[in-house]
Amino acid sequence: MSSATPALAAQNLHHAFGSHDETVRVLCDVSLELYEGQVLLLMGPSGSGKSTLLAVLSGLLRPDQGQVRVLGEDLWRMREAKRERFRLRYFGFVFQGFNLFPSLTASEQLEMVVRWGEGASRREARRRVGEILERLGLSRSAHLRADRLSGGEKQRVAVGRALLKNPRFCFADEPTGSLDWVHGEQVIRLLQSAARDRGAALFVVGHDPRLVPYADRVLHLADGRLADETIPTQTPGEVPS
Amino acid sequence: MPYSLIILWRERRRFLPAILAVAFSDLLITTQVGLLLGALAVLSLPIDHSRADVWAASRGVLSLELSYPIPESWRARLASMSEVVETEPYLYGFSYWRKPGGGSEVCCVIGSRLQDGTLGAVSDLTPRMRTLLTEPGAVVIDESERERLGVQGVGGIAEVAGNRVRVVGLVRGLKSVGPPFVFCSLRTGYLLQPLFRDYPQHTMYLLARCRDPKDAVTVARRLGQRSDLSAFTREEFSERTRKYWATSTKAGIGMGFTALLSLLVGLAITSQTLYAATVASLREYAVLRALGIPRRKMAGLVMAQSLWVGLGGIGLALPMIYALAASGESSGAVVLLPPWLLGLGTGLTLAMALFSGLAALRSLRLVEPITLLR
Repeated sequence: MSSATPALAAQNLHHAFGSHDETVRVLCDVSLELYEGQVLLLMGPSGSGKSTLLAVLSGLLRPDQGQVRVLGEDLWRMREAKRERFRLRYFGFVFQGFNLFPSLTASEQLEMVVRWGEGASRREARRRVGEILERLGLSRSAHLRADRLSGGEKQRVAVGRALLKNPRFCFADEPTGSLDWVHGEQVIRLLQSAARDRGAALFVVGHDPRLVPYADRVLHLADGRLADETIPTQTPGEVPS
Repeated sequence: MPYSLIILWRERRRFLPAILAVAFSDLLITTQVGLLLGALAVLSLPIDHSRADVWAASRGVLSLELSYPIPESWRARLASMSEVVETEPYLYGFSYWRKPGGGSEVCCVIGSRLQDGTLGAVSDLTPRMRTLLTEPGAVVIDESERERLGVQGVGGIAEVAGNRVRVVGLVRGLKSVGPPFVFCSLRTGYLLQPLFRDYPQHTMYLLARCRDPKDAVTVARRLGQRSDLSAFTREEFSERTRKYWATSTKAGIGMGFTALLSLLVGLAITSQTLYAATVASLREYAVLRALGIPRRKMAGLVMAQSLWVGLGGIGLALPMIYALAASGESSGAVVLLPPWLLGLGTGLTLAMALFSGLAALRSLRLVEPITLLR
């Protein structure tokens, strides 16, 4: 499933927060590769730098040092506007909070992304949103406003928002963190199938061991350094020891 | 339906203060200026309702009530002009009205000739009233001023500048914003204005009618070249009077400040509401930014919301403006609503709403996707 050339390659990433006197190093010489069709799970204790690494890899936070090459291009040498267009074209995001406009319906949340992002017509947006809502099992909730959806439905809409434009990369930060495992498992399955079916590279940050069976590779981050890598052997539903 | 309108409608309770603020601003600006226009129209009413093409007065006169006596003999200057076919004197001045039941009131005495085709008498005086006014001491007042002048109506007796006067008729729609108008003959006018006791054979104005009304401008310009006289066409003098009151009196300036204040209050509420609404959605906007959607799309949404807020407020204000104008009319306060004023109110409040939207855009600077990861 993984191709020989990594879709994303990060080398020697360093990042620190704070001023000269009180500097906290959050990333220290981190290098990793991400392949298309692969699910990479990044685990680690709270404050280990997981979310910072996701931000650096996805073009949201410039590292102090190091390089991120995505599809052969150096992400952090691009101009801001180009990086924005790059994200628009290739990246999808799922965050821990649902972050949905409370007064828009499930379908309107997604249509907004297609219409604003790609300039698609209303008709085209509706067609594509209808398809993805069906895949997400949300057809019957399409007309419901976000504030009337359950937590699981909200996160599925958020996943739909990330996958709507068929991104080559999907970055998910604790995507199941706000959900019980029944709904959390639905969400991780959806993300995993996006990687499998569409060849997207999926980078998931999480700390729930039940996510491990859904990953192709698991990286562990501790104190800003990548500690080790494991290849899961469990099947989904089987909690690793 | 655009997202801006969908969000505005579904979150109408959040946006209601801004819509009400715009409506309040539009209502206040339009009715204030409409009231001012109504009041100013009354001030220049004696000019507007006259048949004179040219008004001549003492040098440098700024407004109808601010002239000074000029020799009546100057009529010859007007009469000698080939374009002029008719001239007559016109009295306008203040005096004291002693009410029969005690107390006094400043009044504005307007004395004019009364025969058919008179240049100075307001067109509201019926032929019968003009006949009755030929009797010395006979006056006509507006019916709404009866209480203020302490008389019941026709037949009421009072005293003006030591002379007995009798009300012989009542007119409608000539309620002054200042001292009440008292219409009378020239002869009575001289008696009722103490100033003319010191200026015999003087008049306050000289009026002229031209053979061709189009010549009024030429006549006024030629007369105005003299160093001791000012002369205007009827329209010029009417506008001069209204402009003077609008710009030089506290009434006009006060209304202007009230209108400005209402704009500022509207601006503060509208911009704060839009700002708060944008701040409340910062995390949603941050996700869109992370997905690469340009900031200008969100700015467009905020600006569209400010436009809808403006249009909603104006839509709410218009019926209220007409209702207030109608209720003012019934209580004697004239509110004039010419189309340009409605356009001005709409334009100013819409601009205010859009400016509020621009001010709210600063909140979009707070939209940073990285905040979603902390």
